[in-house]
Amino acid sequence: MGFLIDGFNQLQTWLLILLSPLNITEPVLQFMLVSAILGLSIYLTLYTGMFSLANGGFMAIGAYVSVLLTQQAGWSLSLSILTGMIVAGIIAVPIGLPVLRLRDIYLAIATIGFGEVVRIMALNFDDLVESFIKWMVQKEILFDSLISRAETSDMLDITIRDNGNVRVNFELLGGARGIKGIPVMAETWMLVLFLIIVIYFIIRLHRSRLGRAMAAIRQDEQAASNMGIDVVYVKNVVFVLSAMIAAAAGGLSGHLTRIIDPSNYGFDLVVDILAYAVLGGTQTWAGPVIGAMVLRALPETLRGFSELRGLINGLILLGAIVYLPSGLVDIKGFRGLVAYFRNNRTQRKEMVKDNANT
Amino acid sequence: MKTSRKLFLLLLILSLPTLFISAQDDMDMQIGFWEECATPENLPETVTIGAIFSLSGPVSVYGSVQNQGVVLAIQDINEAAYLGEGVTLEVIFEDAQNDAEQAINAMTKLIEEDGVVAVLGPTLSTQAFSADAIAQENGIPVMGVSNTASGITDMGDFVFRNSLPESAVTPGTIAQASEILGIESVGVLYGNDDDFTVSGYEVFVDALEDNDIDILREETFAVGDVDFSTQLTNLLSDEPDALVISTLAAEAVQIITQARDLGFDGPIIGGNGLNSPSIIEQAGDDAEGVIAGAAWNIASPNPLSVAFAAAYQEAYDFAPDQFATQAYTGAWLMATAIRCADSTDGQAVRDALAGIEGFDSPLGSFSFAEDRNPVHDPVVQIIADGAFTVLGADMTDE
Repeated sequence: MGFLIDGFNQLQTWLLILLSPLNITEPVLQFMLVSAILGLSIYLTLYTGMFSLANGGFMAIGAYVSVLLTQQAGWSLSLSILTGMIVAGIIAVPIGLPVLRLRDIYLAIATIGFGEVVRIMALNFDDLVESFIKWMVQKEILFDSLISRAETSDMLDITIRDNGNVRVNFELLGGARGIKGIPVMAETWMLVLFLIIVIYFIIRLHRSRLGRAMAAIRQDEQAASNMGIDVVYVKNVVFVLSAMIAAAAGGLSGHLTRIIDPSNYGFDLVVDILAYAVLGGTQTWAGPVIGAMVLRALPETLRGFSELRGLINGLILLGAIVYLPSGLVDIKGFRGLVAYFRNNRTQRKEMVKDNANT
Repeated sequence: MKTSRKLFLLLLILSLPTLFISAQDDMDMQIGFWEECATPENLPETVTIGAIFSLSGPVSVYGSVQNQGVVLAIQDINEAAYLGEGVTLEVIFEDAQNDAEQAINAMTKLIEEDGVVAVLGPTLSTQAFSADAIAQENGIPVMGVSNTASGITDMGDFVFRNSLPESAVTPGTIAQASEILGIESVGVLYGNDDDFTVSGYEVFVDALEDNDIDILREETFAVGDVDFSTQLTNLLSDEPDALVISTLAAEAVQIITQARDLGFDGPIIGGNGLNSPSIIEQAGDDAEGVIAGAAWNIASPNPLSVAFAAAYQEAYDFAPDQFATQAYTGAWLMATAIRCADSTDGQAVRDALAGIEGFDSPLGSFSFAEDRNPVHDPVVQIIADGAFTVLGADMTDE
């Protein structure tokens, strides 16, 4: 393993030198890889025809679980990310069973709601625990064990004033302030390795029974069901897989940024993740991967434009979506684009017809 | 036609301040360690520092004034040849919007590709927690000019800040308010989903308890809320002597006007979120009796502060706020460290920065504490007759 990592690091150094005119430094590359993993997580659900936007919520779960495990319990990175994935997967089951009965925009709204619930839970978790402990102290339930716990733990702090007022201080998730001082444990080779594993898994999945069922459900849920595919089962399995991939991305990014706080996992993130898939296209797994990488690299590449970069970034994306409506990774789309600029009307019409047929 | 004329006027306005500033040189001379440190001799022709601010996105209201403050400071520094004849101080500004990842990217770019001597920023505390660690690892001094969260400078000995945290301002605010106005009970309203407002709230609670002021009730809101009448009705039903609010500037105006609409005419005490001229502009008469403790306010009588406010007004056509002042002072502090170190080596600049003591600045006499946190006097002010006035002074007049 060691010489492989060395070899990879050599390769990475060269790659970064090649990419440096684009302003892509190592951290940028790392965030691009994390985004690529997130892109794959939404690809799975979109491939099955589910417009689910729960990835942000699962990413938050993965991040919080794995960060707590490495920081508080001293677990190793791989083990804690794996645990984060499993926790997200378990949470995905009861969420998926009722919610996946919804379709299209209704599913999107319900899953955005889930993401918000996760974010607000993370925001208020400490307060919830605080008021619960305060209630217990006032009612003198488990009073002695609570007080002795408060004395030994840095998380919990109980002060009882002379006038009987009780103040409880509990800090685990840190509310709006988030968790700080997270050690940077994730390295580029881990991200690349994980991305390759997920891509390999997805390629294999496409050729499996489950993968065929996913495609069938996307094309026509009713017909798939009539053919004997257990639609509810397949949808839930995909939802769980997607949640686990998002959780892994969360765990990895949490160990890159040194701080996680609930505002990282709000609605903006969900829109970003969706944009990866929209920009890259969802015909193949490569779409969201390329889309995510381009979208993450673009603001850095455009740094030279200072305040204007948001505008230029937006224009480039708009151009890409107008001229390549089915994504960056779409050969037909590129051919259409070439035709467009040659102003070859007949060819263009053919392209339109072609696209309409598929 | 019209646009070109406007553009021409704009250019004219922009070019004016440079004339004025050069005329004002003698006034600005007061800033800096002119005598304490000899004019440096070993500096290269251009000394480059970096600045990471939120120049676009939702918090660009802070980042853009910080940018302007630094630009003004750099102009002053170079025109006064503070780093020696023929030596120019240059700043590379990087935008980090409002996320931690971009701050990491910007910090990496500044250090690895631009090879800066030191870095000012980033704007947000959450960004500082991500990005400052990179500066620490590379031995590059970094100074936050708006980070107020606790624990920023615990990241390492290369991490500084010149922004007074709420915990240094609030105890004074509460003590003075209770002494002068005789407040015995309060209702507390705070935003519970923001780093700044939660920190502010906790400091308020501690300060209130230290001054034996009863907290009758606590209510919360979320950033972006516009209707606070439910929370305010609950708070006012206990008939508190004063309201204590921990909020950002965006929500402050709504809270103040809604509290007044509900018939509350007592003092409204807050932190830096209330320290903005826009509060008076937007809340009008309702803002009377608002008490704000802050690191700096335009009403400050300090001559350097008055000179800075005038120069800033000339340059940008609007009054500076605390963020601009702290950024301006931050750039001067960094230049002073480079001057005193007479070197562009990170370690030397860091040591010089840590050694700054009694630096006369628009923030007052400024020093760094042992833990690289700022030490200077905060100001407690009350809005009376449509203007900020220093709290104690106002009362003795009456």
